[in-house]
Amino acid sequence: MGEMTNQIVVAGGSLAGHSAVAELIGLVPDADIVWVTGERHRAYSKPALSKEFMQARNEIAELMLPGIECDLDRLRIVSRSCASLDSQAQAVELDDGERVAFDQLLIATGARARMPGILQGVRGVFPLRTLDDAVAIRESLAGKPKVVVIGGGLIGCEIAASMRTLGLEVTLIEQLDSLLDRPFGGAFGSYFLDLHRDNGVKLIMGGKVDRLTVDNGRVAGVELADGSRIGAQLVVVGAGSEPCTQWLDGSGLDVENGVVCDAYLATSRRGIFAAGDVARWTNPVYGIQMRVEHWTNASAQGRAAARNMAAAFSDRQELLKPFADVPYFWSDQYGQKIQMVGWHQGHDHVDLDRSGDAPGPLARFYRDGRLVAAAGINVPRIVMKLRRQIEEEARTLQAA
Amino acid sequence: MKIIVDRQRCDGNGVCMGIAPEVFDVDDDLYLHIAENIPEDPELRARVRQSITSCPILALKLVED
Repeated sequence: MGEMTNQIVVAGGSLAGHSAVAELIGLVPDADIVWVTGERHRAYSKPALSKEFMQARNEIAELMLPGIECDLDRLRIVSRSCASLDSQAQAVELDDGERVAFDQLLIATGARARMPGILQGVRGVFPLRTLDDAVAIRESLAGKPKVVVIGGGLIGCEIAASMRTLGLEVTLIEQLDSLLDRPFGGAFGSYFLDLHRDNGVKLIMGGKVDRLTVDNGRVAGVELADGSRIGAQLVVVGAGSEPCTQWLDGSGLDVENGVVCDAYLATSRRGIFAAGDVARWTNPVYGIQMRVEHWTNASAQGRAAARNMAAAFSDRQELLKPFADVPYFWSDQYGQKIQMVGWHQGHDHVDLDRSGDAPGPLARFYRDGRLVAAAGINVPRIVMKLRRQIEEEARTLQAA
Repeated sequence: MKIIVDRQRCDGNGVCMGIAPEVFDVDDDLYLHIAENIPEDPELRARVRQSITSCPILALKLVED
């Protein structure tokens, strides 16, 4: 090279950004890296927030991901947020007005908790997405509050389980008639209902939250559309999340429920890649676009994007690889390990196996006769075997 | 190459098993078994290192030879 040093900007301080920076340090020794981390905390483990951390089984220090070892001349860490992107001029503008030029950019700004308007601005009501959210919830547990959880998805169910494990009184309100419907594709519906009921959660299924009742600026309860009222000193909202792409408005990037990428995690603009919760990429395993909001995806995708950036950067074509991955996530509730591999969306057939050799229930999801996803409870070996089977079948299909 | 697992922390989430099933095996009691001898294969060893850095509860540690 010789002339100017190339500069890579990694936008996003969570897992995808962290794993990308760690990988880039090793792959492109001749580039400067600017890591725009946003949050005031170092990168930390999010899966534990609703589980071990909420149950006070671990502390903040134990959540922190290892620091990145590198010559500080090469890596600049900026605890600011990105305000806008000028993709023509190849520069990111930070929230303090600084412009950071880049030759390559990785967008890994993640997702934020969705918080419906009627639930905003009241003390004692929290989403759970960040470490600060989790700390605030934990601090409010000291007075043994009555807890209402709004939303029966992954976060809602894990919070309900953690709060019951701590011995608190918990009511969970879900609009649908089943729990964990979206993450587990409708499998195990009655199992999840029984699991939470047996552990003492009061379930309100098909419940629609109308408004909060507030006393002196603090939450006092939740009112439902049918007129009923549930008292609560703590309300935790699990209403899903949305990708953090506002700062990309006007950038010319293709953004639609996430930053649209090809199989190589490259966006519609040259030199700009995306990874993690914010990325909507074409997964070669399924041949469709998907956005995955789970730990393993953020970790693997950050690394994969870094390799593809390095390939483009240093002309090392051997590094270039499409990101073909069978998504995986798990949940822990009352000591039950619930696992999901693959992409069940669009399946046309489910096989439920409650007998057989499996010690727990197992579901296989098919589309056009092909295995696309599997979920199981306390059957990690079988689930992981099915994950490999999905991978192998995809490889065979691609080769054909 | 030797891997140490913090049994207090390990919850059997299986992320490591997903990346390097030749080395990590979570049984149905959610107990993690780790292979004693890890072959010299560089590709496998790269995946083992990746498993360790990917553990969401930071329960794995690597001791290089």
